[in-house]
Amino acid sequence: MKYENDFLLKLYKDILETRLLEVKMTDLYAESRVPGHIHSGTGQEAAFAGVLATRKPGDYFKLPHRVVASAYLVGDPLDTFFGEILAKKTGNSGGRGGINHLGRLCDGVLGMSGTLGCDAAIPVGAAMTIEAEGRDNVAFFFVGDGAANRGPVYEAMVLAADWKLPVVFVCVNNEFAISTPAVYSSSVPNVLADKAAGYNMPSVVVDGTDVLQTYEGASKIVESVRAGNGPAVIECKCYRWRGHFEGDQCAYRDPAVTEKWIQEKDCVKNFEKTLIEQGVLTAEQAKKMREDFDSKMEEAIAHAEAAPEMTADEIYDFLYV
Amino acid sequence: MKVTFGRAISDALNEEMRRDSKVIIYGEDVAEFGNIFGLTRGMLEEYGPKRVRNTPITETAIIGSAIGAAETGLRPCIELMYSDFTTVCFAEIYHCVAKWRYMHGPEYKLPLVIRNASGSANGAGSEHSNCVESLFMHSPGLTIVTPSCAYDAKGLLKSAIRSDNPVLFCEPKLLYQSKQEIPDEIYNSDYTIPLGLADVKRAGTDVTLVAIGLMVPRALEAAEKLAAEGISVEVVDPRTIAPLDKDTIYQSIRKTHRAAIVEEGNKTAGIGAELAAQFQEELYDELDGPVARIAALDVPMPYNISMEHYSIPDANNIVETIRGML
Repeated sequence: MKYENDFLLKLYKDILETRLLEVKMTDLYAESRVPGHIHSGTGQEAAFAGVLATRKPGDYFKLPHRVVASAYLVGDPLDTFFGEILAKKTGNSGGRGGINHLGRLCDGVLGMSGTLGCDAAIPVGAAMTIEAEGRDNVAFFFVGDGAANRGPVYEAMVLAADWKLPVVFVCVNNEFAISTPAVYSSSVPNVLADKAAGYNMPSVVVDGTDVLQTYEGASKIVESVRAGNGPAVIECKCYRWRGHFEGDQCAYRDPAVTEKWIQEKDCVKNFEKTLIEQGVLTAEQAKKMREDFDSKMEEAIAHAEAAPEMTADEIYDFLYV
Repeated sequence: MKVTFGRAISDALNEEMRRDSKVIIYGEDVAEFGNIFGLTRGMLEEYGPKRVRNTPITETAIIGSAIGAAETGLRPCIELMYSDFTTVCFAEIYHCVAKWRYMHGPEYKLPLVIRNASGSANGAGSEHSNCVESLFMHSPGLTIVTPSCAYDAKGLLKSAIRSDNPVLFCEPKLLYQSKQEIPDEIYNSDYTIPLGLADVKRAGTDVTLVAIGLMVPRALEAAEKLAAEGISVEVVDPRTIAPLDKDTIYQSIRKTHRAAIVEEGNKTAGIGAELAAQFQEELYDELDGPVARIAALDVPMPYNISMEHYSIPDANNIVETIRGML
């Protein structure tokens, strides 16, 4: 397919910025500047950016556990983003929720449960609102290959299919649930996509390290969901570059395999190379984009670090409001 | 007019459905079938299949979808049929519904009501007879309501539907057929009862008896018997169990200096356990004796009906306990 240069550059910007954000997060964590726990999604940026490039205003999002890329892409301002992660009053819940609960309702973010999978039907409910209001929006549900094994995910699929609601179930399969490989926990190679037919849903499996391929696969499916044909499944194949958490030694997997993924399937590096070859992007432009975003991040981090924290007299705020 | 508790629930649902098109009802067997207790009969015909919907047996999806619908602008009043089935979707209620606004920020309004038919039902057995209020009292953020009469049921359910915070609304099954005389002009006046407000059901001076749900009529019966013996019991119905109206209850205890709690749920770690702990922490100097707990025996509900009745407090159990306090 042929795309406008602006669109290609936007996709590149999305994966570049989310990569920089992921790397920044692990750097901050290593410097002990993050109070809680983080779960890096480095290497998976194209899966999120490719699927989310199909979104339009009014859509809803149930964000994934490896939340950095998607939270930023759907509109969480960097000040709010770092405010919440650094547990400051400038975060969306003033530091009450943390990294598992990023985002703003005004951007269509539905929230997320730290008990992964318990939130599976939340986009189904948002799709009920879309249906009641007669809009052509969709609700995205992001899940990993680990939580995709949970019962609530299948109950959500049953209900969405039964009521033919506009929900896009997106499984970002990074091959690992903490230490357990997807091939061990799933009897089928595509954890969610191979089960879609049982719920009468179309599905597509895409290379989640290729932002254009992900976008192309996702856009056909999302278009069908928008048109009122009921829910569907997208499965993005990728690889979790880092451990489940920072400090995870990954003794359960072969470092040579990880290295091969990083060398051969780096979504940012590969797309950058293609765009430069096609004359869509120059190395100088890419460099400037990196520098610009680096300074934006530094500014937001400085704001967040200087921001006040909630105090004991505010601990009950937001309960029974 | 004579109104049953069940009809009051139906009328509250109908009035709110007519008042606000954002209110929707869904759950297992609520549409054509009209709910297993007949409470939503006729609603599918009146409001249509988008506002009154049957779900598959998918409790986690019923709760989860209600969150998504509520935060995006609808006001789902969902039902889980038996209260016992809250345990199937415990995480969705305990982690998600209760904590959602706190974790994500106050802009995440959550106007949703989880209706459930609670308590014993003459032979329903161990998994269809539970009271779950005490399980969810451990879940800050959730409002828990258990009405004890038709008037309260209607006014409280209307308030629950209008609330922007999530409400677990427990309906004692054995009360569905109980009747109450309510003047027409009051019943039909679109009245509401604020959440978080207890009600003194009978004034008294010797003992404060905090009674919940099905136990309220039994407490009133016991109070009547005790009055004949010269013992004056004040019966206080919290109506909203969380957050609790401590002001009304404490005011009563400051007057009577004796307190008992009666509930239909199991005794251990029950509502009474929590209230007794709060009373001794906060009202120690006001109490002239130990706080008494009257509750179901700590057994799974037996299927045998006479044993079911034996395991749950009746008016005589309440009378005996209160006599022993004086």
